[in-house]
Amino acid sequence: MIIKAKSRKARSAWLGLLPFLLFCLVFEIVPVLFLIRGSFIEKSSGALTIQHYVDLNHPLYINSFLNSIKLSGLTAFIGVVLGTFIGYAIYRWPSVHAREILTALSDVTTNFAGAPLAFAFVVVLGMNGVVTQFLLQYFQYKLYPDFSIYSFTGLIFAYVYFQLPLMVLLILPAFAGIKKEWQESSQSLGANTFQFWWNIGIPILMPSLIAGFTLLFANAFGAYATAYTLVQSNLALVTLQIGYMITGEVRQDVGVGMAMAVLSLIIMSLGIVIYQIATLRAHRWSKS
Amino acid sequence: MMKKTHDSAIKSERRPRPALWQIICIVLFLFYMLLPIISTYVFSIAKRWDRTILPEGYTLDFYKRAFQVSYFGSTLRNSFILSLSTALVILIIIVPTVYWVHTRLTRAKPLLDVLMILPFGIPMVVLALSLVQIYNFPPIARSPFLLIGAMVVYAMPFMYRPVVNAMQAIDANTLTEAGQSLGANVFQVLMQIIIPNILPGILSGGLLVFSTVFAEYTLTSLIVGARFKTFPLLLVEYTRINGNVAATFSVISFTIAWLASILILWVGSKGQHTTADTIRVR
Repeated sequence: MIIKAKSRKARSAWLGLLPFLLFCLVFEIVPVLFLIRGSFIEKSSGALTIQHYVDLNHPLYINSFLNSIKLSGLTAFIGVVLGTFIGYAIYRWPSVHAREILTALSDVTTNFAGAPLAFAFVVVLGMNGVVTQFLLQYFQYKLYPDFSIYSFTGLIFAYVYFQLPLMVLLILPAFAGIKKEWQESSQSLGANTFQFWWNIGIPILMPSLIAGFTLLFANAFGAYATAYTLVQSNLALVTLQIGYMITGEVRQDVGVGMAMAVLSLIIMSLGIVIYQIATLRAHRWSKS
Repeated sequence: MMKKTHDSAIKSERRPRPALWQIICIVLFLFYMLLPIISTYVFSIAKRWDRTILPEGYTLDFYKRAFQVSYFGSTLRNSFILSLSTALVILIIIVPTVYWVHTRLTRAKPLLDVLMILPFGIPMVVLALSLVQIYNFPPIARSPFLLIGAMVVYAMPFMYRPVVNAMQAIDANTLTEAGQSLGANVFQVLMQIIIPNILPGILSGGLLVFSTVFAEYTLTSLIVGARFKTFPLLLVEYTRINGNVAATFSVISFTIAWLASILILWVGSKGQHTTADTIRVR
């Protein structure tokens, strides 16, 4: 009798979750499942096919994936390295007030991705940009035409802008896991700073570094607005290509777009899984 | 009195200074972060700025022109409507759900956590593509309502974290039991006890949702496009027409984002009411 009452209560409790679950199903889960199914269906006949995935073996799509992976990997790497140094500089800054301001600044600037940021970089590094002018007048160095903000390299500058603060925010809590006592005891045993970091510091930070890299990678891979404003059709990127399929700017069988989308989902999911595992490992150190 | 001077003597003795490498790192960091923003602000009031490092003159002309742009008012209004609606829908869906799971269905918390990570694993273009493909029938095909649905999915993790943290900080279970022992039903407990106590969390989450949706371009342009022009869409349009006016739009975008961030920090600093606070003897 007691067991029956318990299960009845538990079942009705799940009803309370229904509105939220329904919403997720309607706007998130079902559409994505529909997308995955659609990528395997030939539009006119309705038959199952992997032709869309085979069609991806085309220079345009291969370049898109290569460019997106290169861009994401590069900006993630730069973001991780620079972000860790800057994060440590902030972490060891003596004034609490300054640390709070710098953290808040990172919080704000990491959300600045998008069209306004792309435009800001045109003002700074465009053909008549502030830095371009500065280099020309004070160093007689002509940035253009070898460099262009409307290119892969230009995009790196824009992406790093929001990748950097994101890494700073991610790595700051990780430094708390490296106890000062360990540094002192390693010093007393004769190790110098480099040896400490190489043998103790970095291994402890490693899960957070990996988590940071994958998150930054996923962040860059899925970015659209910044790239759209800066490069558009000058550079083949996965998100841009999928975007063209939606707006109909490209006369292409939507199936290919869906296949691209599914591949992107696989890449992103891999990233999220690695990120979760790495974060759990990182928590091991901060808990002690 | 003697203790005070003793303490301050120790303080000034021991206060460390930042190392040189730290100063260099932070200065370069600040330079990289602030230069684009400051340049945009200056560009919006610059008369001519394509030959020199500093502008050749200053003017508010471009702001006048910006306000006269025909879609200026309507896009701002649309952005506000979109952001407010999204924040409202998220509030109504998320807060009761988090409360429910926290008090009655703790087993479902991992499921909730996963569902809140999911939007990060779906790139916005993929979400847009999937929604446009499956809901391609009137009346919701490419409608603002579909857009709101997409926005809610995209922005709900931003509300989830603050609300969950606030819920844990106030020990919602104890408060619920207390309320129910005094005869309140679940709805009353939620509305009159829980929500007032997690208000800072709701406000900072709501502001975050608002500012994120306000600046959003990808989902809007791909799902509804010109049918429901929002401010970011107008901005991108003008980057190709008139750079100076686009700069003024950027300034407005940045300023609204700054204001929202400051509000979020201010609300967050007001602190969360923990159980310890409520039972501490004053």
